[in-house]
Amino acid sequence: MKKDLVQKTTGFERFNHLVLAASFSILFLTGLGFLYHTLSWINTMFFGVHNAKVIHEWAGVVFSISLILTFGNYLGESLRFSREDSAWISSLGGYFSRTAEPPPQGKLNAGQKIFYLLIVVGGGLAISLSGYMLWLFPSSRGNILFGHFLHNIAVLLFAVTVPLHIYLGTAANPGTFRVMTRGTVTRAWAKKHHGKWARDLGID
Amino acid sequence: MALEEMDKRRLSGVDIIGRKKGLLVTPDLCIGCRGCQTACKEWNKLPGEGTVNRGTYENPPDLTPNLYNRIRFVETSTPDGLRWLFVSQRCMHCTDAGCIRVCPSPGALFRTPEGAVAFNKARCIGCKFCVAGCPFNIPRYDENDRISKCHLCSDRIANGLSPACAKTCPTGAISYGDRVDLIREARTSGYKAVYGEADLGGLGVLFAFREAPSFYGMPDKPSFSPTIGLWKGILKPLTIIGLAGAVAAAATHYVTVGPKEIDEGGDE
Repeated sequence: MKKDLVQKTTGFERFNHLVLAASFSILFLTGLGFLYHTLSWINTMFFGVHNAKVIHEWAGVVFSISLILTFGNYLGESLRFSREDSAWISSLGGYFSRTAEPPPQGKLNAGQKIFYLLIVVGGGLAISLSGYMLWLFPSSRGNILFGHFLHNIAVLLFAVTVPLHIYLGTAANPGTFRVMTRGTVTRAWAKKHHGKWARDLGID
Repeated sequence: MALEEMDKRRLSGVDIIGRKKGLLVTPDLCIGCRGCQTACKEWNKLPGEGTVNRGTYENPPDLTPNLYNRIRFVETSTPDGLRWLFVSQRCMHCTDAGCIRVCPSPGALFRTPEGAVAFNKARCIGCKFCVAGCPFNIPRYDENDRISKCHLCSDRIANGLSPACAKTCPTGAISYGDRVDLIREARTSGYKAVYGEADLGGLGVLFAFREAPSFYGMPDKPSFSPTIGLWKGILKPLTIIGLAGAVAAAATHYVTVGPKEIDEGGDE
């Protein structure tokens, strides 16, 4: 590692994020093809609707395993709420102003913690459990009706938040994308976005 | 929203309700011969199934993947004595069909030009969502996990013939024709309420009942689960609006507030 770079994520963390993102993309695309008949051409690209169903099911297995593997990386940190987190929320992360800056943040900021807990864990568990219900126990009418409803509430959550997650991890915050590719960030990035974490690491 | 509208227009039978074909079932005329069951099996090349004596003429006891149409024998004791009723049980060809609404595979369940709800086994992916979507518990799955049910002999009616069951019925208990005519016929024969006239956008299979539907073992107000309406009516359009909204919000943010640049030069 170059001297001015700081390690933010482990290799396993990045690999697992890639697995989660890839399985999510496959699931989201095939799912759109199932939900909107006008978009059924998406499932034609996934080798036809029969194969798309099998791909959707097994990508779901990969997704749910990958989801559980994220717990070790983020769950503990996300559940620790501190004063910086409330300050981050009240300043809306500084995203709606060119000048306002939230106070120095720990390794994850409040927005990341909320996204992780509500969307990744909450939505992820809801969509995984309902998916297994629909797949493995289709003979129960109640299962299908409730499972579908839950599945689609989670889909709505993801449809709204994942594009924002991608935007915030790329264009909105230059220097951030490499967190999930290379695993390293610059010292200046660390100080700007996660000042408290940088301080704890001895970066001034 | 537009996508939802397009799906709806393609799948709903509302626009063809006026020229929809259908069946009128009159239990009063039925003699319980079950010729309709046999004719249906013959036309649709469905194998016979071994049955056991359960102490009733009703046989088989339920619809199966190889039995699209069945006469239910209803025994009810009333103050005037025992009533023995024969009611045809089969797909009702709903205009607002729960099965079509929930089916994720386009063309697996579809509406024929005559308004019948037909199926294409080659497109069925075996998810069984249609079973949960049906208010009458009709769809069955065959040994290959593909849907199987009455399709109103869509291959016959497309060629100007009447469905096998109606063709063979010796008493006119099952009669086929234009839905509007069938309703008028039932009225002129003195049936005040025609079951299925308005339910679920208008059923393709109508029933001339003397008593309340529940007397014949039918739901008084057939409907599919409200979660299907919430899912298809609210969550489905919201999902595409939300997706587009999130992308638009990100783009707007980028060109107005702008990204959080790292101001210390030379580092990045």
